[in-house]
Amino acid sequence: MPMDRYADMEDKLRILEDLNMMYIRQIALSLQDSDIQKKIDHEIRMRDGACKLLAACSQRDQALEAAKSLLTCNTRIMAYMSELQRMKEAQVMQRVARRSDGTRSSDAGPMDDRLPCKGKVAISDLRIPLMWKDTEYFKNKGELHRCAVFCLLQVGGEIHDTDMVMVDRTLTDICFDNTIVFSEASPGFELRVELYSCCSEEDYSAGSAPRKLASKLSSSLGRSAGKKLRVAMDPGACSPTSNAGAATLLLPGPAVAGPKYHLLAHTSLSLSHVQDSFRTHDLSISGNEECSYWVPLYGSVCCRLAAQPHCMTQQMMSGCLKVKQLGGDPPSWRNVYGVLKGTNLFCYHRQEDMEANVEPAFTIAINKETRIRASEKDPHSKAQSICISNQYGGEEVTHTLSTDSREETHRWMEAFWQQFCDMSQWKQCCDDLMKIELPSPRKPALVTSKQGSLYHEIVIDTSDDISTVTDILTRRMQELELRSQLGTSPPWMSLFEESPGGPRTPRLARHSPRSPHRLPHSPLSSLRCPWPGLLSSDASLTSDSDSPCSTSPCSRHRGWAEPLSLSSPRFRPRTLSLDAKLSTLRGRGYGGVLQCSCQPPSSSSLAPIPAQCIPQATLSCSSSTSSNSSSEGSHSPSSLDGTPFSRPSSARRSLRNLRAKLDPRNWLQSQV
Amino acid sequence: MVEWEYNNYLMVVKVLNDFLSKLDSQCSCVLQQRIEIRKLRQGEHLILGFSIGGGIDQDPGQNPFSEDKSDKGIYVTRVTPEGPAEVAGLMMGDKVMQVNGWDMTMVTHDQARKRLTKKNEDVVRLLVASLLCNTSPFVQTEFAI
Repeated sequence: MPMDRYADMEDKLRILEDLNMMYIRQIALSLQDSDIQKKIDHEIRMRDGACKLLAACSQRDQALEAAKSLLTCNTRIMAYMSELQRMKEAQVMQRVARRSDGTRSSDAGPMDDRLPCKGKVAISDLRIPLMWKDTEYFKNKGELHRCAVFCLLQVGGEIHDTDMVMVDRTLTDICFDNTIVFSEASPGFELRVELYSCCSEEDYSAGSAPRKLASKLSSSLGRSAGKKLRVAMDPGACSPTSNAGAATLLLPGPAVAGPKYHLLAHTSLSLSHVQDSFRTHDLSISGNEECSYWVPLYGSVCCRLAAQPHCMTQQMMSGCLKVKQLGGDPPSWRNVYGVLKGTNLFCYHRQEDMEANVEPAFTIAINKETRIRASEKDPHSKAQSICISNQYGGEEVTHTLSTDSREETHRWMEAFWQQFCDMSQWKQCCDDLMKIELPSPRKPALVTSKQGSLYHEIVIDTSDDISTVTDILTRRMQELELRSQLGTSPPWMSLFEESPGGPRTPRLARHSPRSPHRLPHSPLSSLRCPWPGLLSSDASLTSDSDSPCSTSPCSRHRGWAEPLSLSSPRFRPRTLSLDAKLSTLRGRGYGGVLQCSCQPPSSSSLAPIPAQCIPQATLSCSSSTSSNSSSEGSHSPSSLDGTPFSRPSSARRSLRNLRAKLDPRNWLQSQV
Repeated sequence: MVEWEYNNYLMVVKVLNDFLSKLDSQCSCVLQQRIEIRKLRQGEHLILGFSIGGGIDQDPGQNPFSEDKSDKGIYVTRVTPEGPAEVAGLMMGDKVMQVNGWDMTMVTHDQARKRLTKKNEDVVRLLVASLLCNTSPFVQTEFAI
C-alpha cells in the first residue's frame, strides 16, 4: 500500500533529521563558534514555522509562499552546515600541521598574502524572457498552465530569495523587482542564481475554493489524484533541492504535504560579469517539457550586477601628510590632511575640513595608471618620501609626500600597496563607483492573484443600469403606441417586423432566462428558417409563407404592436445532470446568473423527452419529419392586451439579484 | 430557403447525430451562429442591449458561463429583454467569437467593448458560439433529414 510506505519513510526521515541536528550542534559547540550556531538555530526555527504554516494554510498563494520560505531556510541551513564542516576540517588540518611541524603557520609576508578588500555586490532588475510556442499562446481553451517561480541567489554563505511571481502564458518575461545586496563578497565571488518553479495547479490544500470545485467538474478526477500520489511518492521530494556540498550530511526536510519547488534553471555570475549596466547571461536549464514545473525559458537572464568594493566607498587610510611644493629651492612643504578613498587621495587643509565636507584643497589620483615609489632617503630628513606619478594628458606630474615618522610613511605605503592590490583584484569595479540602490524598507506589495487591471477599479455607474435601458424601451414603447395610433412608426420598428430579404438567423429553441412561467411559443416568423417552433406541445411550426406569422406574441409582448411577429422566449431544455451542476455552482455564488436560467419546463412538456432534449431536429422529428415540409400549427394566443409593456416584477427582482452578484468589481462586465 | 441557414442546420444536425452516438459521455455541443444586431439609437448612444464579460485581462475563473474555466473569451452575461440583441437571437451565455469580422477571442475587455460600440456602425454582425445542453444518456434517436 503506497501510503503506508510513505508514512514509514516519513518516520525514518524524522529520525535522521534529529540525528543530524545533534551532530550539527556538536560540531558548532566544538568549534566554539556561536555565531554560526546561532544562525543555524535561527534558520531551523524559521523552517519549523514555515512547515507549520504550510500544513495549516488553505489558500494556494499562502502555501506557495510558505513552501518558498521552506526552501530558502533549507538552503541556508545547508550552507551553514557546509561552512561548519569546512571550519571543522580546517581546524583539524591546522592541528595536524602544528603537530607535525611544531610551529604555527606564520603570518605571511607583506605582499604574498595581501588579501583584497571585500565589497558589496548587488544584483537587481532580474528579467528572464520566456518563449511560449504560438500554439500555446493563442489557445483559448485548455488549462492555463500556471507556475509559481522565484529566484534563489547565493554568494558564499549568504542566501537571499526574491519574491514569488506567478507565471502563465500571458507573461512574456519573468521580472523580479528585488534588489539583492550581498555585503561581504570577495572579488573572487561566485553568485549562484537559481530559478525554482512549482506548478500551481495541483490540489494539495485541504480546503478547496469554489472555483477549484467548478474547474474540477470539467476535468477528470483521476488526473489530479494521480499527480498527487506521484509527487508524494517521489523520493527526492523530501530533500531540499539544492546541495551545498555537504555530502556527508543529509538534511531531509520535514515531509510536509504541500507544493514542492523544483530547480528549473541556474547560472553562476562572477566578477567578469559585473558591469554598471544591464547584461544578458546564459541560463542552464534543467528539466524538460514533461515536467509539471516546466516553464518555457528562452535560455538567458538579464540583470544588472554591480559591485562596490570597500576600497571605493570607505576611507582606507587617513593621516597628516606633507606635500612638497613644486618649484622653489629649498623645497617647501605644505601640511595637509590626506584621505585615501576610492581612486583618489584627497588632501584637505585641515582634518576638520574633511569632517565638514568642505572641498579638498587638491586631489591626487590613485588609479591603475599611477606609479608610486618610495624615494631614497633624503639627506635632510630622516624619513623616506613617497613619490606619486600620474599621467595627465601626456604630461607626467609627480607629487612628493612625506610624513613625520618612518612608521607613518610605512603605513602609507602599505595603504597604497593595498589599494593597488584591491584595484587589480576588483578590476573594472574600481574604474568608477557603481551605484547600488538599496531597497528601501517598504510594505510588501499586495499581490493579487488576478491580473491587476485598472478596469477592476472602475465602478459602473448605477445610471448605466440595465433597468434604465429597459425603462427607456418601455417609454419608447409607449411612444410607439401613441405614434402607431397616429400612423407613423419609428425606424427601428423594422427590427421587429419581418423583412423579406433580411438575413435571419436560425434560432435555437431555448429556455428563457427570465421567468420560467412564461409560455413557450413559436419563435419564428415567416423566416425561411427551417427551425421549427418549440418544445412544448404548443409548439407550432411556421412555413415558408409570405404572410407574417400568425402566432401571436406571448404575454411578454403585450406592448408591441400588431405587426410584431418575432421571437420571444426561447427555451433551452435542461437536463437533470446539468441542473445538478448548476445547483452546485449556484451554492457557490454563481447562482445569481444561473438562478434566473431556466427551470425545466412544466412536466407536461417533459414528456416527449426526445423532443425536449434536442431542440430543432427533434422537433422536426416530432412535429414534422423534414424541414422541407411545411406544417403549420396554430398557437393559442396568450392574452394580448393593449397594456403598455412592463417587465414582470419577478424579472426585475431577479435582475437585481443578478446585479448584486455580478458586482463589477469581481469580474468586469460592460453593457453595450 | 436561404442557403447559409440551411447549411447551419445541416451542421447542427450532423453534430447532434455525432454526439448522440456517444451515449455514455457527457458531451456538449456548440452551435456557431451569425447574429445580426441592429443598434438602437437612444439620444446620442447606440445600444445593443446586452452586456459582456471576459477578456484576456480578466480572471477567467469567474466566468459563470464558460465550460472551460481558463477561457478568456468574451461572453454575453445579460441580455436586455426586448432589446435589439435579444430580438436578434442573442442569448445569455453565448460566447462572442467575432464582431464584424474582428476577432473577439483574444482581446481585452475594453477592446471588446469598443469593437461593439463603434459610433459609426449601425449594425453589428456577431459570430457567436452557443452551448447546447448536455444530453442525458438515454436519448436514442438518430436524426435524418
